[in-house]
Amino acid sequence: MAQLSNPDTLVKVAKTLPPRLLEFFRRFPPTNDYATGPQRPTLPPPSESPSLTPATDILKASIVWTDPTFNPFQPWKNPITGRWRGAMYGLRRQADIVNMARRYGVEELLPHSAKLGWVKEEKREQHGLRVKGTGERQRVKGKEWERTQKGRLEKRREAMLKMPEMIQTWKERGHGRGWKKWPK
Amino acid sequence: MARRAKSRTIAVRIISMAMTGYYRTMVRPRTSRPLSMLKYDPVVRKQVLFLEQKRGGNK
Repeated sequence: MAQLSNPDTLVKVAKTLPPRLLEFFRRFPPTNDYATGPQRPTLPPPSESPSLTPATDILKASIVWTDPTFNPFQPWKNPITGRWRGAMYGLRRQADIVNMARRYGVEELLPHSAKLGWVKEEKREQHGLRVKGTGERQRVKGKEWERTQKGRLEKRREAMLKMPEMIQTWKERGHGRGWKKWPK
Repeated sequence: MARRAKSRTIAVRIISMAMTGYYRTMVRPRTSRPLSMLKYDPVVRKQVLFLEQKRGGNK
């Protein structure tokens, strides 16, 4: 990010970008204000901009282009009508753009998206592979035979170590005639 | 009603002493002493001692 914050570097980088990415950045210039979740813009207080009439304020907040936090990768709620508008870019197109940006090293300039590398990594860390037991502080329970396998093998190993001695005793006691310890 | 006469022979289970859970079922006369023999256990792939399992109280 440190490199990309320099305007000269940005211009240099921009010259190498493919038209599709350039067009995206033209429509949505990189800012730090992008919302990271679904957006619910609030109406700006009228005292802040006295030159605007309340009607204009409402109009301004209800248009995505004048909302500085508008994120084309997230759904947006119109403050006047209360209706939700879907993300401007669907998940497939988001993935296309993110992948392209990653190839050109400008992924961090994009608005927040579920397709961004670090967002995905964070999610992966939190939830694991969505397979029960692979997340943080989780362990795979396993089948019962898997859980008891170690103990059983150990028991078997010990029994096999004692086996020659046991067979010797069995032979000495008349092949079972004097045997007392029958298994249950 | 008279109970059925007990059969002269019984089916018994001889289990591997290698603790593999492997067993074989054999038939022996009811009155003879319990079975014990050396037999092959395919789990440990060796000949090991097999002893007859104690039968339950109600048999």
